[in-house]
Amino acid sequence: MSVKSTVPPAASPVRQMRYLKPFRQRVGEALSSYTARVLLQGLFTVFAVMTFTFFLVRLMPGNPVDIKIDQLMQTQGLTYEQARSQAAGLFDMDLNAPVGQQYLTYVQRVLRGDLGKSILSAGTPVADIIWRFLPWTLFSVGLGLLVSFALGVLIGAAMAYWRGGILDNVMTAVASILYSIPEYIIALLIILVAGVQLQLFQVGELRGGFNPDVAPGFTLEFIGSILKHATLPVITYVLATIGGWILAMKSSTISTLGEDYITVAKARGLSERRVLTAYVGRNALLPLVTRLSVSIGLVVGGSVIVEELFQYPGLGRQLLRAINGRDYTVMQGIFLIIAISVVASTIIADLMLGWLDPRVRVGQKATKG
Amino acid sequence: MTPLIELKHVYRHFEVNRQRLPVLQDINLSIAANEIVCLVGESGCGKTTTGKILAGLLGPSSGEVLIEGRPRASYTGREAALLRRALQIVHQDPFASINPAHTIGQILGFPLQRHGMVRSRAELRRRIWELLTLVDLTPPGDIVNKFPHQLSGGQRQRVSIARVLTVNPRLIVADEAVSMVDVSIRIGILKMLHRLREQLNLSIVFITHDLALAKYFAWDGRIAVMYLGRIVEIGRTPDVIAHPAHPYTRALLAAVPEADPELTRHKQHLELRSEDIPRLTEIPPGCAFHPRCPFFVPGVCDTRVPPLEPPPDYNQLAACIPLVETGRLIPYTERVNPDGR
Amino acid sequence: MPNDVVVSVRDLSVSYLARRGRVRAVNRASFDLHAGETLALIGESGCGKSTLNLALIRQLPKNATIDSGSILYTRRDKSVVDVLKLNKAELRRFLWSEFAMVFQGALNSLNPVIRVSDMVYDTAAAHGLNKAAAEKRALHLFEKVRLDPYRVFRAYPHELSGGMRQRVLLAMSLLLQPQVVIMDEPTTAVDILTQRSILDVLQTLREELNFSVIFISHDLAVAAEIADTIATMYAGDIVEVGPVNEVFYRPRHAYTLALLNAAPRLSAGAEELYSIPGSPPDLIHPPPGCKFHPRCTFATEVCRTVLPPLVAAEAGHQVACHHTDDVVTAYRKVSRA
Ligand SMILES: Nc1ncnc2c1ncn2[C@@H]1O[C@H](COP(=O)(O)OP(=O)(O)OP(=O)(O)O)[C@@H](O)[C@H]1O
Ligand SMILES: Nc1ncnc2c1ncn2[C@@H]1O[C@H](COP(=O)(O)OP(=O)(O)OP(=O)(O)O)[C@@H](O)[C@H]1O
Ligand SMILES: [Mg+2]
Ligand SMILES: [Mg+2]
Repeated sequence: MSVKSTVPPAASPVRQMRYLKPFRQRVGEALSSYTARVLLQGLFTVFAVMTFTFFLVRLMPGNPVDIKIDQLMQTQGLTYEQARSQAAGLFDMDLNAPVGQQYLTYVQRVLRGDLGKSILSAGTPVADIIWRFLPWTLFSVGLGLLVSFALGVLIGAAMAYWRGGILDNVMTAVASILYSIPEYIIALLIILVAGVQLQLFQVGELRGGFNPDVAPGFTLEFIGSILKHATLPVITYVLATIGGWILAMKSSTISTLGEDYITVAKARGLSERRVLTAYVGRNALLPLVTRLSVSIGLVVGGSVIVEELFQYPGLGRQLLRAINGRDYTVMQGIFLIIAISVVASTIIADLMLGWLDPRVRVGQKATKG
Repeated sequence: MTPLIELKHVYRHFEVNRQRLPVLQDINLSIAANEIVCLVGESGCGKTTTGKILAGLLGPSSGEVLIEGRPRASYTGREAALLRRALQIVHQDPFASINPAHTIGQILGFPLQRHGMVRSRAELRRRIWELLTLVDLTPPGDIVNKFPHQLSGGQRQRVSIARVLTVNPRLIVADEAVSMVDVSIRIGILKMLHRLREQLNLSIVFITHDLALAKYFAWDGRIAVMYLGRIVEIGRTPDVIAHPAHPYTRALLAAVPEADPELTRHKQHLELRSEDIPRLTEIPPGCAFHPRCPFFVPGVCDTRVPPLEPPPDYNQLAACIPLVETGRLIPYTERVNPDGR
Repeated sequence: MPNDVVVSVRDLSVSYLARRGRVRAVNRASFDLHAGETLALIGESGCGKSTLNLALIRQLPKNATIDSGSILYTRRDKSVVDVLKLNKAELRRFLWSEFAMVFQGALNSLNPVIRVSDMVYDTAAAHGLNKAAAEKRALHLFEKVRLDPYRVFRAYPHELSGGMRQRVLLAMSLLLQPQVVIMDEPTTAVDILTQRSILDVLQTLREELNFSVIFISHDLAVAAEIADTIATMYAGDIVEVGPVNEVFYRPRHAYTLALLNAAPRLSAGAEELYSIPGSPPDLIHPPPGCKFHPRCTFATEVCRTVLPPLVAAEAGHQVACHHTDDVVTAYRKVSRA
């Protein structure tokens, strides 16, 4: 018995076609419909948030518009009509139009990227504020999440691989502790211990996104300054989230290592590297990808206090300021952005999951036979 | 005599992803008091669903369930409560149905107390002892204070049977009750079920995919063979096993290996025309087995849904039009190619 | 049989370190596997069948140790490999090309996130076979196991039914033309008709490709059909080894006899079956003497104290029982009744 004698003649082109065409077609369709479904869901969510914030600002009893009108009447002694028209100007709304009309105008504007004007710093478009502060948040939160995810996954996988070893025991304790501390406490601890006690840095110096003495530009000095100022918030985000990643990756890897297909892969003589990447790693990552989207959303929201503590010029701090100053238009704009970022991260995670896991892509239909 | 329980034209479907799965179609089945009926068939053919409908855990989508001749819905109040206790089910996995945090004594004690079956602590204890002895878990004193995980698989299954017996049932549906138990211990549990049937005047519906086991357990009862949600053959066990009528039953019986080397190696197998089991969403028209049937008759099998009828020279009922109408089955290959070319 | 032994196992002992103590899962197991032979390992759940076979391919879990014994493997060129002495890299090359395995629970033996083709390529790459040759061979084998080769080759595991996956694994195990394939309960969780097609396919493949099989099962009927030789295991010991007809028609160990008396037969009409009393022993504290004695109807004083050795009763038929003769007579009586 030799290989030669048992191998059939080369496949005829007809047979080749038979499997190529319908298969490609089927997967193509499934994939596009999956993508379409994910995108549609995302759009719908953003729209719902948009609608919600509009009605929050405009319609609820004791809504900001009415409060502003009352306020104007009391503090500046205006008549109701005057106060109302002034409020309308502030909120950039035509209060005389029917609500439906107002809503349509609002939607049209948002679609054009016009989020109204700030009430506090009168006249500044909300969009400008967002554009100015969003990059900082995206940068610090994004970097923090990336570092935390990558490190957490690596550490968690290593812990599972050398289960019961020193690394596993130490890191399980550390991760559980980190996991249970809220991020603002971590931020405070960093400031108190590293800044005030140990004097590792000057808290005051690290205000803002970069050192104002350095001229902005594509220079090493400027980039260095940006990184330096982002260090503390990023460390905070990493410490606050890495515990969760480590624990999740560890348990996911342990259960994957126990799967039959891992033993089979080893028995097939595959190299350790191939088994650890395509067989263990990829399968163990699946449940984490779903978590990723949730945590992106949480971190954007969670940046509020951290940015305030470190005086970091991000959107979170801006949100806090808007809340304190009852700047509803800015709040509305930021909520919308947060919603969009959550939705966007969900979409990215879903698509990534679809890319990593064929079962999600094609649904649960198994061909029988 | 009115049967203990009777299913009449029972249909059951499930809604999955906005698709309608017809899991059971036109099931007619009656179970007499003290009778053993075995449901056999491949995975997904609807055995468990039938069992659940019998035990009252599921309702039919349409059709009637009669208990001692009366529709189930006519049982209300106290009667309904008694009925619920009278019909019991034993699952495949004892771990899924008994609480691992309780001792065996508690597992048996709770239903006894909840249903007010005992009046004093002494009576409770006596009844638990009695039940454990009934399922051959002796001496009971060694067992009552143990937790489920301290028992072997076979012992756990005996506990779940004992628990079902706490409420004095009339019918026990044993759904793959010994599939997870070791071969060597299975027979012991089956013998015990036989004994319980006689002692307690029980009816037993025994669900399995193991034909040899079905044959052994239900030798003096009946076997119903299911395929894709329908009963395709039903009759007394010796008749069905020795002279299977429906092509599907024939294929199943021919496919089963025997614990006898010479016999099993010389057994004639029945080649099916296709190995694909159709999905429930795409049940073939006419006889659902026709795309795989080696005796397929075009124009008949793929158009008319066969009713369960007695074929000539058989003692059982089978849902196969060619067999019932002509009394014999001609292989499809001979039919399309009579010269054997 | 001629001395064309492919695998020779001697005195192999394996134990697990569990929380409660040391689980002696395999004790001094010895057997030979010949070229082209199918050896069925039967015995109840937890008796050490899977452990024995995982030891053969050295894929035991981390808490297991091989306490003693040797596993010698003879290549086609007659060179002998001491499997327990292979280093990591050698073992990697050895597995699958000489010794392949189809695992218990096929549904979970395929990586869910990559295509069947990728698994074929992975295997080929690990053994220096080029992609095109691997594909050709895989397609051929898929056809042999009655699958639509092109569709299956490009499919993800979830697109295949249980029976299809089992056949894919069967085909994949033969990819590198191993001399030995271990099959751990390959027909357990499948339907009757699927089991039939797997058994038939295995039979054809064996006739054509002439490999040896170690077939693990607790289904006596499947073993009766597929095996040339039967080995009965009880509580970590191999208690009886012999040609299939010998073991089924002239069982010499009380446990084998008990298993046969507990197996229902379709063709037998009304039959009397006997269950084995008691439950399987605890492998951490096994009973002294013959481990089966607490459940054995033949047990006498000697069984309670002396562990019977595995000795040849007849050519090719070995048994470890103090009451071999009683067992044979008892079986004759029952089967005539
Ligand atoms: N609650 C439910 N919702 C949706 N589908 C269901 C439900 N219960 C059962 N089914 C489907 O109905 C079909 C029959 O199921 P059932 O459990 O009765 O089969 P079975 O014959 O007991 O199979 P098995 O031998 O695998 O236990 C299956 O395809 C199953 O997926
Ligand atoms: N990883 C492990 N750690 C500790 N004990 C184990 C481990 N794996 C198996 N065992 C024990 O070793 C014994 C033999 O197990 P093994 O899986 O080899 O049995 P088996 O004969 O294959 O059973 P089955 O028929 O159920 O597959 C059992 O008692 C089992 O509890
Ligand atoms: Mg079921
Ligand atoms: Mg096993």
